[in-house]
Amino acid sequence: MKFLENIGAGVLQSVERLGRAAFFLSEVVGHGWVLVTRFWLVVQQLYSVGVFTLPIVLVSGLFVGMVLGLQLYNTLVKFGAAESLGLVLALSLLRELGPVVTALLFAGRAGSALTAEIGLMKATEQLAGMEMMAVNPMMRVIAPRFLAGVIAMPLLAALFSAIGIFGGQMIGVGLLGVDSGAFWSQMQNGVDFHEDIMNGVIKSVVFGVVVTWIAVFEGYDAVPNSEGVAHATNHTVVYSSLAVLGLDFIMTSLMLGEI
Amino acid sequence: MSQNAASTNDNDNLVNIRGVSFKYNTRTILDNLTLGIPRGKVTAIMGGSGCGKTSLLNLIGGRLRPSQGQVLVDGQNVPDLNIRELYQLRKRMGMLFQHGALLTDLSVFENVAFPIREHTRLPEAVLRNVVLMKLQTVGLRGARDLMPWELSGGMARRVALARAIVLEPMMIMYDEPFTGLDPISMGVIAKLIRELNQVLGITSIVVSHDVAETSLISDHAYLLGDGRILGQGTPAELQNSTSPYVRQFMDGLPDGPVPYTYPARNYLDDLLEKGA
Repeated sequence: MKFLENIGAGVLQSVERLGRAAFFLSEVVGHGWVLVTRFWLVVQQLYSVGVFTLPIVLVSGLFVGMVLGLQLYNTLVKFGAAESLGLVLALSLLRELGPVVTALLFAGRAGSALTAEIGLMKATEQLAGMEMMAVNPMMRVIAPRFLAGVIAMPLLAALFSAIGIFGGQMIGVGLLGVDSGAFWSQMQNGVDFHEDIMNGVIKSVVFGVVVTWIAVFEGYDAVPNSEGVAHATNHTVVYSSLAVLGLDFIMTSLMLGEI
Repeated sequence: MSQNAASTNDNDNLVNIRGVSFKYNTRTILDNLTLGIPRGKVTAIMGGSGCGKTSLLNLIGGRLRPSQGQVLVDGQNVPDLNIRELYQLRKRMGMLFQHGALLTDLSVFENVAFPIREHTRLPEAVLRNVVLMKLQTVGLRGARDLMPWELSGGMARRVALARAIVLEPMMIMYDEPFTGLDPISMGVIAKLIRELNQVLGITSIVVSHDVAETSLISDHAYLLGDGRILGQGTPAELQNSTSPYVRQFMDGLPDGPVPYTYPARNYLDDLLEKGA
């Protein structure tokens, strides 16, 4: 009986927290006008969230592209379709790996940093101090970070895909001898702007919203002590990663018209 | 013990707490509390840890809502205010947090300038002068370019004090201003609290459990415990009180009405219990 009670309490707690997170998101979105009124705050956060995540995204993108180049060439050459390497590489990156891997890296690098920063601001009474100075932390701290995350994520995903294609080209054309003209022309002919590129962009925007939402909410809702901030940071990475992978399946299914 | 003039004549008070109760989850923190904070005076709220002193400040600042009662600040009942009215009122309040609550990504100068930048459109030259004047008041004009992590605890609190007075508020709430400070820093903060009160006429509420330092600077003191007022009067009156609770607190006695041991079952039973 006690076991059932615990399960029930856990479910109720989760639902209550989800509701709180939803209200939190609506409040953050309601402060979206800070993009205009506090443009420089958003730019500062864009620098902190976006530029600092850029190195890990570029390096990872390069290696993922290089590995894809090797793996895909190895399979395609068995069917005499090595010239299609550019097309398959671009589709893999633009549709799937670009948005998904970038979102996972973004959660680990920028998401955890956002949670820890906001959580520590709460623990050190900086958010309370702002409230007492009649400054709404939602407007001054949360909304600019949220907007920066939402803007940065698609840009990072685009750069990941671009550098990945470059890495794949280096391996495919430079090392394995795939014809350069065939590599690029097949990519140009086969990649559709709406079907492939825009679907990837939509995914990256959705991942940007979800990961940044989780990150700022976890920080804002953290228990204000060192253990609480550590838990919140941990939750951000775990929940964001699971949300990205789950949402990717749902969105891919919808985009391919399979469900 | 004298009855506080402030609590008998509400008009002389900047803050009037009337029948306020506050609960945290199921635990009662404040129980039907009534007290007054006189204008232009330094009022101390003393009491042991967890007696509701900080909750009282948060109720006055509108960060917490009472389960019942009125929190009147300058005639306005804080729980009834909407967010815009509350923020307007907060512009006229300053609060010094226990550890300063300085914004860690801003320099000392920018921390003090923060409320001005947020609430006014002062020209940069005027803003600079105002900030330097406030920093001069707390003796830290030369530290304007330091970052918060480069400051000692006492310096951080002085910067926070400069920030709290930069909009020239009608009152300042000090939450444990002496905790964790060396004797010199403690003396500096006490001197500043007194001077700000005398020179600028700012009503001050000092929440503290530091009896000696708080008694030196306050005009009137309340002693809280169990969610109620257990003693009040001038610091001298409290020092001469015969109430057991007041005596235990003022003399720092380990045992008394506030027991040394946390409530527990019989010691012997506890020790003899198998497999405990």
